[in-house]
Amino acid sequence: MAGAARTVVAGTAEKPPGRISRIAAHMRREWQIYVMLLPTVIWLLLFLYKPMYGLQIAFKDYSLFRGIEGSPWIGLEHFETLFQNDQFIRALKNTIIISFFTLVFGFPVPIILALMFNEIVNQRFKKTAQTIVYLPHFISTVIIAGIVITAFSPSSGIVNTILGFFGLEPIYFLTRPEWFRPIFIGAGIWQEAGFQSIVYLAAIAGISPTLYESAVVDGASRWQMMWKITLPSIIPTILIMLIIRIGNLLEVGFEMIILLYQPATYQTADVVNTFIYRQGILNGQYDLAAAAGLFNAVVAFVLVMSANAISRRYSRTSLW
Amino acid sequence: MSGVRLENIVKAYGALRVVHGIDLTVNPQEFLVLVGPSGCGKSTTLRMIAGLEEITEGRLTIDGREMNRTAPKDRDVAMVFQNYALYPHLSVAENIAFGLRIRRTPKDEIAAQVKEVGGILGLTDYLLRRPADLSGGQRQRVAMGRAIVRRPKVFLFDEPLSNLDAKLRTQMRAEIKRLHKRLGATSIYVTHDQVEAMTLADRIVVMNEGRIEQIGTPMDVFQNPVNTFVAGFIGSPPMNQIDAVIATGDGGPVAQFDGQSLSLPPLDALRQGAGRRVVIGIRPEYARPVHGPAEGAVRITPELVETLGSEALIHAAIGATPFVIKTETHMGLTHLENVDGFTIAPDMIKLFDKETGHVLRNEEGR
Repeated sequence: MAGAARTVVAGTAEKPPGRISRIAAHMRREWQIYVMLLPTVIWLLLFLYKPMYGLQIAFKDYSLFRGIEGSPWIGLEHFETLFQNDQFIRALKNTIIISFFTLVFGFPVPIILALMFNEIVNQRFKKTAQTIVYLPHFISTVIIAGIVITAFSPSSGIVNTILGFFGLEPIYFLTRPEWFRPIFIGAGIWQEAGFQSIVYLAAIAGISPTLYESAVVDGASRWQMMWKITLPSIIPTILIMLIIRIGNLLEVGFEMIILLYQPATYQTADVVNTFIYRQGILNGQYDLAAAAGLFNAVVAFVLVMSANAISRRYSRTSLW
Repeated sequence: MSGVRLENIVKAYGALRVVHGIDLTVNPQEFLVLVGPSGCGKSTTLRMIAGLEEITEGRLTIDGREMNRTAPKDRDVAMVFQNYALYPHLSVAENIAFGLRIRRTPKDEIAAQVKEVGGILGLTDYLLRRPADLSGGQRQRVAMGRAIVRRPKVFLFDEPLSNLDAKLRTQMRAEIKRLHKRLGATSIYVTHDQVEAMTLADRIVVMNEGRIEQIGTPMDVFQNPVNTFVAGFIGSPPMNQIDAVIATGDGGPVAQFDGQSLSLPPLDALRQGAGRRVVIGIRPEYARPVHGPAEGAVRITPELVETLGSEALIHAAIGATPFVIKTETHMGLTHLENVDGFTIAPDMIKLFDKETGHVLRNEEGR
């Protein structure tokens, strides 16, 4: 019987279409979607994949005149140079410190802001407050840096004016290495925290209102609802944002640093990206800069993979 | 046990009134079902009792205490929602314990109560699972567990079975009924499903457009609907309604429609009623299908037969008016396909005024 059944199946069943032919059929059917996808794919290929070809100069003694193909391979020499270079080690240390404190102080602020916005009952006040905290995101980094420089100016800055009000001597904040990191991290939070809170507000908006109604009937206060419903409900979003953030851990916003630092503060302000900028663009050492950039990317890749795996294991939330 | 009383309760959103002065008394330990079509105000009424909606006008008392301005947590009610309202990040046990934890009940007491409620609802093996790992029926049981564990004065159910499939709904309906018998708590249940209303209720409140149309026991509402709305809403399939004109026949009043006539019960309202326009109401269950000529039979044009197993629905028409007969299938289906008329005992016919839609009945009530 079983043999007969097998014969019938073998004789009548068609071979199921392969993966490629299924994708081709899908592309023919949904061609409009693929057309819409095209610009992004082209952008990715041109600006993210094509430059990968150039990454090989990290392992070559690159010369502009000989080109990528013509330059000789030198193995890991640039990486050895990098790790023997005090400036790079200092930049790496600064990057890690700045990233760590940006994460510790900067990551919770948008979440707290979103929770606070969610508790505002007066819609007019809520909208005004939201506009005010979103606004710095739309201001150019150059202008933000200008505002910071002005605010911390020893002669006319508001910070020193307030210090003077309390009888304190003015501080030359931006020339003092110990003040650079707090000012940089604080300015970053001020500029981006409001805008980043939108993601959490959207997550909060997706929480079913009946969860709150049920809690109200059960006797929960607003504070209890925030702790026991709102915050736990947005944990998946928080974790996703954390994974993305960890992936970008070594990507310190270097425009702002270039605008704020000076040789006097290099000791605490110089990061890997500003090091790459100085070595690659200003000193023309493209191969060394490529090695530093590749190192940055590999670390970021390892970090994001690890964070994703940990999150998937312990909270069932992951990017992929 | 506590009763609930609504006196002239009104709900308005600005100028829009959605509940128009409801008067209702829910007796202690009673299972009262509010039923009506979508938008009739039944859920709003329930939410006003829970304190989730403000009462615009009127007075609400629970256990004799006015509750209009009392916070939901102080009303001592528990509510079961349509979409379960379970906290996805908490386990079944933590969901059940939520209300007790909020009220700072001692931990050992919480554990004992969660265990007991878990046992009652058959959730003992699932206490450590998250809601996402449960089936729809299990989730609804957890939602009920969360309500039960608080031992409230009044249970409020807002369409709790609407998200379940038909089979599970029947099963959960029976469980709710069993639970009510066991706990004996005052319960107010909102549904748009008249089968749920009929099977669960001690008394049914039929609502329409923010008003109560009728209050009564399930059988009373089924057999003696006060108007054409209730007649059309309660019953599955609903009561057939045929426009007719009253005439005087040899043996008493008759209704004339589509060139046919039907003997009517001798109602007081029909004594001088010749020429009066009425609506005849005939329950599909009470019409007896006939083949060929039969005395007093009304002729129908059969269209199709829907079989339900032990019963069948004969869909037909009288002129342009649809007419449904519900009958048993033990005689065979071929027999049903040849049906071309029906008879009905006069006292099974309901009559409604065409203008007002109100039922016409004798002074003493029938």
